Amino acid sequence: MSGNSLVLPIVLWGRHAPTHCISSLLVMDDLATVISGCHDGQICIWDMTPDLEINPRALLFGHSTSVTCLSKASASSDKQYMVSASESGEMCLWDVSDGRCIEFTKLACAHTGIQFYQFTIGTQREGRLLCHGHYPEILVVDATSLEVLYSLVSKISPDWISSMSIIRSHRTQEDTVVAVSVTGILKVWIITAEVSRMQDLDPVFEEESKPIYCQSCQSISFCTFTQLSLLVVCSKYWRVFDAGDFSLLCSVPSENEQAWTGGEFIAADKVIVWTEDGCSYIYKLPASCLPASEHFRSDVGKTAEGSIPPLVYSIADRADKQLLICPPVTRFFYGRREPFHKLLVQGDSAGRLTLWSIPDTSPLQPLSSAAELQVSSTISLQEAFDKLTPLPAGIIDQLSVLPGSEEPIKVTASVYIPSQGRLVCGREDGSIVLVPATQTAIVQLLQGEHMLRRGWPPHRTLRGHRNKVTCLLYPHQVSPRYDQRSLVSGGVDFSVIVWDIFTGEMKHIFCVHGGEITQLLVPPENCSTRVQHCVCSVASDHSVGLLSLRERKCIMLASRHLFPIQVIKWRPCDDYLVVGCSDGSVYVWQMDTGALDRCVMGITAVEILNACDEAVPASVDGLNHAAVNLKQAMTRRSLAALKNMAQHKLHTLATNLLAADNADKGNLPKYSHNALVVQAMKTNLTDPDMHVLFFDVEAVIIQLLTEEAQRPNPTLVSPETLQKAPGGADKGGSFLANKIFKQVKETIKENIKEHLLDEDEDEEEEARRREEKSKSLSLLEYNLTMDTAKLFMSCLHAWGLNSNLDEVCVSRLGMLRPHTPISFGLISRGGHMSLMLPTFKDSLLRQLGKGVGPEGRKLSVSEVVGKGTYGVSRAVTTQHLLSVISLANTLMGMTNATFVGEHMKKAPARPPRPGAPESPKKTPPQVSTPAMQSQIKQGWSQLAAMHCVMLPDLLGLDKFRPPLLEMLARRWQDRCLEVREAAQALLLAELRRIGQSGRKDTIDMWAPYLPQYVDSVSSPGAAPETGQPTPPPAEAPPTEPKAPEEEMDVTDDDITAGCLSNLPPSLKKISSSYEERRKQATAIVLLGVIGAEFGAEIEPPRLPSVP
Amino acid sequence: MVVIGVDRSAVSEVSEMSAANQAERAVLEEEFNWLLKEEVHAVLKQLQDILKEASRRFSVLTPGMEGQLKPENFILGSSTMDQVKGVLTLQGDTLTQADINIKVAKSTQVMHFTFREDKQWKLQQIQDARNHVNQALQLLSSRDESYQFKTGAEVNKLMDAVMMQLTRARNRLTTPATMTLPELASTGLMRMFTPPMPGDVMVNLYINLSKLCLTVYQLHVLQPNTTKNFKPAGSSVMHNPGAMFELNNTKFEVNHVHKVECVVPWLNDTLVFFTISLQLCQQLKDKISVFSSFWNYRPF
Repeated sequence: MSGNSLVLPIVLWGRHAPTHCISSLLVMDDLATVISGCHDGQICIWDMTPDLEINPRALLFGHSTSVTCLSKASASSDKQYMVSASESGEMCLWDVSDGRCIEFTKLACAHTGIQFYQFTIGTQREGRLLCHGHYPEILVVDATSLEVLYSLVSKISPDWISSMSIIRSHRTQEDTVVAVSVTGILKVWIITAEVSRMQDLDPVFEEESKPIYCQSCQSISFCTFTQLSLLVVCSKYWRVFDAGDFSLLCSVPSENEQAWTGGEFIAADKVIVWTEDGCSYIYKLPASCLPASEHFRSDVGKTAEGSIPPLVYSIADRADKQLLICPPVTRFFYGRREPFHKLLVQGDSAGRLTLWSIPDTSPLQPLSSAAELQVSSTISLQEAFDKLTPLPAGIIDQLSVLPGSEEPIKVTASVYIPSQGRLVCGREDGSIVLVPATQTAIVQLLQGEHMLRRGWPPHRTLRGHRNKVTCLLYPHQVSPRYDQRSLVSGGVDFSVIVWDIFTGEMKHIFCVHGGEITQLLVPPENCSTRVQHCVCSVASDHSVGLLSLRERKCIMLASRHLFPIQVIKWRPCDDYLVVGCSDGSVYVWQMDTGALDRCVMGITAVEILNACDEAVPASVDGLNHAAVNLKQAMTRRSLAALKNMAQHKLHTLATNLLAADNADKGNLPKYSHNALVVQAMKTNLTDPDMHVLFFDVEAVIIQLLTEEAQRPNPTLVSPETLQKAPGGADKGGSFLANKIFKQVKETIKENIKEHLLDEDEDEEEEARRREEKSKSLSLLEYNLTMDTAKLFMSCLHAWGLNSNLDEVCVSRLGMLRPHTPISFGLISRGGHMSLMLPTFKDSLLRQLGKGVGPEGRKLSVSEVVGKGTYGVSRAVTTQHLLSVISLANTLMGMTNATFVGEHMKKAPARPPRPGAPESPKKTPPQVSTPAMQSQIKQGWSQLAAMHCVMLPDLLGLDKFRPPLLEMLARRWQDRCLEVREAAQALLLAELRRIGQSGRKDTIDMWAPYLPQYVDSVSSPGAAPETGQPTPPPAEAPPTEPKAPEEEMDVTDDDITAGCLSNLPPSLKKISSSYEERRKQATAIVLLGVIGAEFGAEIEPPRLPSVP
Repeated sequence: MVVIGVDRSAVSEVSEMSAANQAERAVLEEEFNWLLKEEVHAVLKQLQDILKEASRRFSVLTPGMEGQLKPENFILGSSTMDQVKGVLTLQGDTLTQADINIKVAKSTQVMHFTFREDKQWKLQQIQDARNHVNQALQLLSSRDESYQFKTGAEVNKLMDAVMMQLTRARNRLTTPATMTLPELASTGLMRMFTPPMPGDVMVNLYINLSKLCLTVYQLHVLQPNTTKNFKPAGSSVMHNPGAMFELNNTKFEVNHVHKVECVVPWLNDTLVFFTISLQLCQQLKDKISVFSSFWNYRPF
């Protein structure tokens, strides 16, 4: 029952585009999308117009190492899928339209090339991916499940395959796979219908094996125009072969030491070949290579080396090229649909894409001097960022612009302290800034009176590092054994500094390392008491230190590692610190004595590291840099917390709470369920931080309801919410009760604390106290929950569709209009994530502009604010509508649920401090007049209604992507009552909207997944065959399928980080059945609802049924 | 390596004084240029020489015979036990002949197996290591003396790529594949022998570090009605006695495990070459990083 919380990311990219050193390229068949993979593992989706304008749309996170190859993974044009593989053997299947990760897997070996191959048996079409890489076979993988089906194996001198091409035969059912191994042997496999149907792992042996003496082959491609020749490009020459018997037709050496890296036929008589440094050449093939010519094969057998065929065009790389740090990637694609462009695409290390459209005609000039082909279009990520107005916002840009300079100081390290809602940002100049996270995000994203104030929001700056801050750690967040005042920072000046965040005082400077600090970690719980009060620091001089915060000295320094440190693991019971280096060696240190116990390599090293994992399941380890590896960062910091929350039995949490008399321990569970988590990320170590705000809708709702329940006037608590909660989901109910209980406890604690603080202050002088309050305590003195809700609702509302409602939202509800369309993200299974780039709105403008085209009016950015996100993709729409409606409903049930007014300044339910004179701002009653109350409630209900039913009409169908029925159906029984209600309302509204025919289609689509069908048909998607479609059950509430426990599992949405990520690969098989079960449950809900609501219109079962 | 010491002290001194004076900056810049122009190429040359030597070890030709790899015989044994003995012929990455004697624990009878005439067994670990080295060499050869490095980042990128190939090459030799026993049974190695291996014997051949290893498992069938708790063993390089697995609906348990090995001298050489080259690469990266952290330095 984990992972079904609704989490929405919002990104603040900052002005610096992420590093995108392109390693692989793909152009989709419709020439509307270009996809690029980079060395750091991200994938960028670029939109392309028919006029070849390109614009980056989204960045996909999921791979931990360099992307080695990309390929399309579906043949249909309506559902575009692509697959990506990385250096470490990961493979991901993505939905191109919204960046959802559909499936992912990991093999031990790395792929270097993947080709999609659609194979047909009768009417049935199935996608296959042929993969080759650092292994001697060609693996045939299913294009939807990513399971290896069978492999193509060599009998004679098997070796790695360096390049491969598929020759499709239209006459027979046989297709040919031609591949060249690294040793220059050409191999041919025949895939027949029987072979394709094979499911077991029987290998298929090659049909033919012929040495063609092509050392270091870079690419082979088959001439699709004549189907009779084959182009083989090696680094020192390129050759054309007869595709029938593979005899050499011509061979062309490279000139002036250039290395060829690839080539392709662009016409029956022309080839394009490109070099490592990014130049391309188009050659006209000699007559001996042209099947249409009478001289075809006239040179076979003669050594035709040396003669260079006439050059038609040469395409040099740009003259003004920036310094590149590695060779660019070049690929050639031709459109299979309108417009039939022939495109040469190049991506380089600066994140720049360059396009050339290859004309079909030859230039008019004499062929002696090759014509230079002009660039059709070019853009880099940074250029796209620079073009935006306003420039993409960074999280603390308003506080970072120094007088006299344009550029804000880069944020180089950050940590979020959820208990205080504060974000700590370390910067390039060595200063550290503490700001309230929601306040600073509001400044960046929303318009309002705060725009006039300078230096808003109130913040604190810590100065101490002499140069860039490289890492930050708030140990109390990881373990309550640390003082909640201490913050630890590391810098490039080799120092680690301990701060008191309440006073801003520098407590201690550790100078023990001989290189910049790269990482700060917290040792696990069960270490010796001495070590428990240490933090572990890792530096670029390959040393590790244990710095005791209590003793203020370094208790151990493990240095002399030869290679950079990749991972730190712990063996607390043996008092061992285990250091894994980048070369695979492992050093085991005794923490107490600082002695090196042993240093091992190879299999023993792997075993030691694995043994540590077994001993400490939740060991704090960090591969590379904490912020670089997103998957880790996500699972460790933000989502793991949420997952843990769900995984632990909730009643144990309750007992823990009751047992915890220690104030600090009692605080702990609170952190694990936060409405807002700010996670800093960088795609490359050298990049400044960008920040992602994760909103957990469920947590926001719970916090809102808790605060409502704490209100001093109990009569105002809306009775429905309290009654509904325990009555609804039993788990949700008890959960809520715990929350409330805990919250009350905390409030009391906070009061006590505050009282103590106040007493301290009394001793200080009046003015100083004022300042102190506004500086440090003011950070606490705003209502975090309401602020979070305000930020979130303002971002989600579809502005500009109903001006009356907008007015109500701004003036009565206190929402703020965003500056520009907000970059949202989408989290899919296993911590994969897609984040919209700030430039996505350009694509959106173009798309929305189509409707108003005739007037020739260009839409301004402000006009698409808010509307935009509902036209991105169906999955995004579903998430956003669910969030906005469930939150609006929650707020509707609350007293004084507006974001304007005094109550925003303070957390509610704080009784007046005993003894202290009541401040004037607290005296006016927070409760406004009943008339006001009803107006506010009405505002929220209007807002909910607009998003629930009116949105499709207001936006127009061409600009609106309707929500996905299955995602709504899966939330029909959501744990959180408000989300559940929103999902139910939305599902009904959507079913009503799609009309009778739409409902019928839905029934036809989902009926095969109903349990009885699954029993009879093995693969439900295939053919629903004769079994009669059951008339959907008439009763509204869907009958529970088998076990209720399982049902909870099944509600897990594929959009949220599922529990699947925890599964070892061996459980893959089970996961497919898991998918099946989930589909069953979805079908039951969906058809049940249709039956109950629209039962009258359903025709009696048509027996001959669906084709 | 003296250079490193000089750089380090220079840099720390500069940061000591908080504001580097102009002369020192100029010197450092000059030094960095020297590093990019001279030192990098010197290291690359050295790397190339070492790796060429390593690559050569993978394909030692027979003198006199054109293009024929030299076959070498290895006698596998163990100092502590004599139940298993093997003589293997390695030709490049392929085992062309094998001769294995197994003494079964209870009886005095010695089982004798050889490779079938038509069969050879390729050691994928060796081929992979060789291919990775060749790829590293290819990367290095694309940046010869005539190439002018312009940034440290460029050198780092190249070093990262080379180091990745080298680490993989070394890891292929140092970490043999972990397999479950049913996986091992299905590798086809069992079908290589004449006379055919009996059902209660399994063998595994692999490289661990510089050693050619032969593991022999003696199995016994678990009765279906056995009271023993059946728990299939996971993946491992070498399974211990007592490990259980299921194959074709029959449950087996490992009775005895015998491991014999023999050092392949040229594999040992290549491992040493890999280690040296990896260290050279890392040292070059460290040198670059000393400068780059200096260039980033900006006193506030």
